[in-house]
Amino acid sequence: MLCFKCGCRLSEKNFCTGCGADVGLYKKIMYTANRFYNDGLEKANVRDLSGAVSSLRQCLKLNKNHIDARNLLGLVYFERGEVVAALSEWVMSKNIRSEKNIADDYIDMIQNNPGRLDAYNQTIKKYNLALNYCRQSSVDLAVIQLKKVISMNPRFVQARQLLALLYINSQEWEKAKKELDKALKIDANNTMTLRYLRETEAMMPSEEERIRKKKDAIVYQSGNDTVIQPVRKKDMVGMQTIINIVIGIVLGAGIAWFLAVPAREQQVRDEMNEKYKVVSEQLDAKTVQVDELTTQVSELTQEKNSLSSSLSQVQGNNVILEANDNLIEAAFLYINGTGDEMAIAQELEQIDEDYLQTESAESFRNLYNALKDSVSEVVAEDSYNLGYEAFRAEEYDTAIEYLDRAFRYDQSNGEALYNLGNSYHQKGDTDKAIEIYEQVIELFPNTEKARKSQNYIKEIKGE
Amino acid sequence: MIEFEEELKKFHPSLEVEEVEDAIYNQDVTDLADVLVKMVKEAKEE
Repeated sequence: MLCFKCGCRLSEKNFCTGCGADVGLYKKIMYTANRFYNDGLEKANVRDLSGAVSSLRQCLKLNKNHIDARNLLGLVYFERGEVVAALSEWVMSKNIRSEKNIADDYIDMIQNNPGRLDAYNQTIKKYNLALNYCRQSSVDLAVIQLKKVISMNPRFVQARQLLALLYINSQEWEKAKKELDKALKIDANNTMTLRYLRETEAMMPSEEERIRKKKDAIVYQSGNDTVIQPVRKKDMVGMQTIINIVIGIVLGAGIAWFLAVPAREQQVRDEMNEKYKVVSEQLDAKTVQVDELTTQVSELTQEKNSLSSSLSQVQGNNVILEANDNLIEAAFLYINGTGDEMAIAQELEQIDEDYLQTESAESFRNLYNALKDSVSEVVAEDSYNLGYEAFRAEEYDTAIEYLDRAFRYDQSNGEALYNLGNSYHQKGDTDKAIEIYEQVIELFPNTEKARKSQNYIKEIKGE
Repeated sequence: MIEFEEELKKFHPSLEVEEVEDAIYNQDVTDLADVLVKMVKEAKEE
């Protein structure tokens, strides 16, 4: 310790041995300053930086030349992120003692790294900008700036305190507490930090509520943000589970109905359209074939008609030839006098009746009639006899042939007609029998034959 | 209860690097020893 008047080193006496000045009070001031320094050093050792700053300032107010106190104060400022204040103390320390001063190392540490110094300066500018945002009520911008500041200089206690204050203002207690806890790790006894923390903890939910909330949510950290993810409740049991399953089934069925069924219908419709297309093509092909066949049929019909016409002409010619042949043969038999009237009649019967009535010449018909008249009486009689014998011999087909001819050559022969009916009746051709019997009744009324015919008709009809 | 506006007033802009020199020069470095010397000197003059 040096005398404040002459600069001599002081002894244990209360006066200066060099100049005789009274240094008792001065010594007390120096001792008090040293006690504040020691107190500041102890607080700095336990990270009570605010307390250390207070004690070291008291020390420097008593003794501005206390190099250790000033250097330690700068170090404490630097630890709290207040780089400019730290530099200021170290520069003054170096100014007081330029030799063998540890402040040289501190200043060199910063000045030899311009990038680091610039980073510190940027941090301070952003902090000041954030503070300005706060005063302009632009809280969101301030929070963003302060987060940047803290990421660049995590030991900046004032920045953390301001950010915590903003979180408290927006009632984000968890975030505020997190910042305050970190600030306390740097400056363990900062009154502002402690006050904010007490306020925050008072406003935060109780431990019991937090435990209950944790059961409902998973809380984890993602960068600077706290993510709260709700936990799915697992106590859905019993009826609620069944209801959920039923709802799921109904929804599934609904989706299947609205998605799968239309698709199936569309598929069936497509298949039907495909089949319809194939059938239509086949129908068109068949229609073409039918048209072709119709055309062929029409052509063949025309050809047939043409051939039929030709055939008719040929047949007509044949009929004429055959009729002439038959008439000539009948005339030949008559002229020769064979006496076979039945042969003549058979020849005449072979002549076509239509030709005879329509197309034949008058001479042809005269000859025909002459021949027929000449043999008719004999033929009628012979035919009746032959027919009746055949009837009695139960040869009904032969009887029918002869009796029919007998009646044709002699229309007055009622017996022939009556026996013709009996022949049909016995043969079993009841329809023809009735027809003949009715002719008997009509042509020979009031006769025994008519009466019998009437009885036979009744018998046949079952009356 | 913390009043935001009141608390905000307690925060002051931090000194930037360019302002170090002004801060040093403007700092009141008078200590109690200076006051004592001054008082002794004044007492002798009287």
